[in-house]
Amino acid sequence: MAEILLYGAASSASYALMAVGFTLVFGVARVLNLAHGAFYACGAYAMYGFCAAFGAAPAIAVLAAIAVLAAVGAIVNRFFVEPLRARPMAVLMSTLALSIVAEQTLLITFGSQSRNIPLILDGPVSLLGVRIGAQGLLLIAVAIVVIGALWLFLHKAKLGKAIYATSQDPVGAQLVGIRTSTVFAVVFAVSAAMAALSAAIVGPMQTVSPEMGLMPMIKAFSVVIVGGLGSIGGSIAAALLLGYSETIVSYLVSTEWAQIVSLVAVFVTLVVRPSGLFGK
Amino acid sequence: MRFFNRTDSVVSLAALALLAAVPLLTSDNYVLGILITAICYAIWAGSWDLLSGLTGRENFGHSLFIGAGAYAAAYLNTAYGIDLGWGIVVAPLVSGTLGALIGLPTLRLQGPYFALATLVASAIAHTLCLLLWRVTGGEEGLSGILPMAGSQSDYYYLVLTIGFVSIAAMKLFALSDAGLVLRAIGSDEAICRAAAIDVDAYKITTFAFSAAFAGLGGALFAGYQLTAAPDLLSSGLSITIVVMAYVGGMGTIYGPAVAALFLALIVEYLRGFGEYRLLVYGLILLVVVRLTRHGFVDPFWRWLKGRLA
Repeated sequence: MAEILLYGAASSASYALMAVGFTLVFGVARVLNLAHGAFYACGAYAMYGFCAAFGAAPAIAVLAAIAVLAAVGAIVNRFFVEPLRARPMAVLMSTLALSIVAEQTLLITFGSQSRNIPLILDGPVSLLGVRIGAQGLLLIAVAIVVIGALWLFLHKAKLGKAIYATSQDPVGAQLVGIRTSTVFAVVFAVSAAMAALSAAIVGPMQTVSPEMGLMPMIKAFSVVIVGGLGSIGGSIAAALLLGYSETIVSYLVSTEWAQIVSLVAVFVTLVVRPSGLFGK
Repeated sequence: MRFFNRTDSVVSLAALALLAAVPLLTSDNYVLGILITAICYAIWAGSWDLLSGLTGRENFGHSLFIGAGAYAAAYLNTAYGIDLGWGIVVAPLVSGTLGALIGLPTLRLQGPYFALATLVASAIAHTLCLLLWRVTGGEEGLSGILPMAGSQSDYYYLVLTIGFVSIAAMKLFALSDAGLVLRAIGSDEAICRAAAIDVDAYKITTFAFSAAFAGLGGALFAGYQLTAAPDLLSSGLSITIVVMAYVGGMGTIYGPAVAALFLALIVEYLRGFGEYRLLVYGLILLVVVRLTRHGFVDPFWRWLKGRLA
């Protein structure tokens, strides 16, 4: 039981970190960003680069990777999303193309063999009678802190309130003097930074390879669809739901079958209630 | 027939004649193989356009129907020894039924939701294909299909004939009254409903047709490769087809088919640069989405016709 509780929490945390960033972009900028998985992979490779090239300490490399990806997010928004904003399917295709290009560039630059990035916290810890990697606990803690901070930022800070207002009505927000282009840039930067953070913490526990972004993005998709596109609370609830049901299925049946749980959940949600469990 | 444009008909027959002449000029099986592959892509892109181009419901899981057709033909042949010719007949029925079944719940979804639902449906099929390896052969796929034709050039003529007839049939369908209704549904579904058009029946029937042609192409491809591999169910293939349709010009049927033919040929010749293949597709898509609204092939052909007339 305790095992399911902890491992379920760890995988829910990684899903939530990816999904909240993804849904933030959809909720505010109304953009389905198919390059979110590419942000994840680039985040992991940025950390790899900082560790391998400059010998940076893992904790420093994580911060550097987050900063780089925040900039990448804003640039992507400026040059590949903003000019196409009037055509939602074109934005979808543009970000899809970008993710293909990013993945293939990583593949050509670094090759298909997987790389390792260092753990930030090493060694196993015993908790509730379960041995779990310290990095797994770090993941849970980071997810809670970061998503909590984001929630506070959106509800308390001035810029956060501007983001919130834009998500409700972009034209109305412009009328009261909110610069929506800045809001979109910030949202993209935050979303990409969260993907990088997730990759930097989850990456060392798995392997780093060019196509590593695909699965997390599919999971983020699943979480966001089940929770309701654009709803941060819904994403957190759905991340817990999917994280735990996958953990339970992999304990009771097998890890292979766990893969299909979230896919089926998404399909059923899309068919039965496209707005998601907690969507408007 | 009223919608037959003379220039279009003459040029498409000339293209057919040109393709039919290839086996007379070369007996190189490699060249014929590349052309067979390219024609299969043309069928897939044209069939994608039948639903997605006309109604604007972009299907991101077309590989589901391609793979279903390929696996149906391969399974009948390898498990029961049923001739591939029957497989090519059965495959469209299997894929078409799947299309109707998946269309039923998903086609009322709008824009990105439909795209995601079809993407996920094909991802489920791909995952199941790998999980149920006892039946599907897992990563290896179903291999050892008995070839249907004596020589590569015989099979090439079969694929060319079926491919040309399929694309012509789909183009005629798009030009017919039914095609007009589908375009209207693409522009404004609510108005069509108000005009007492059975929108759901139109969309589901078209999805079934689109899926059936995809399955037909899948079976033809499996018959050439003599295997049905899980790659045929992958989202990578679906996305490749969407790119081809974007390049060709959506809603024109022949545009995506011609773009698919050329892109597949180019990419097969670039196989030496294997790892750059997807990068090329990605860059092309980036440029096409940014610069054009109607792709390259259709605007180019209209321009050329304007100059000729």
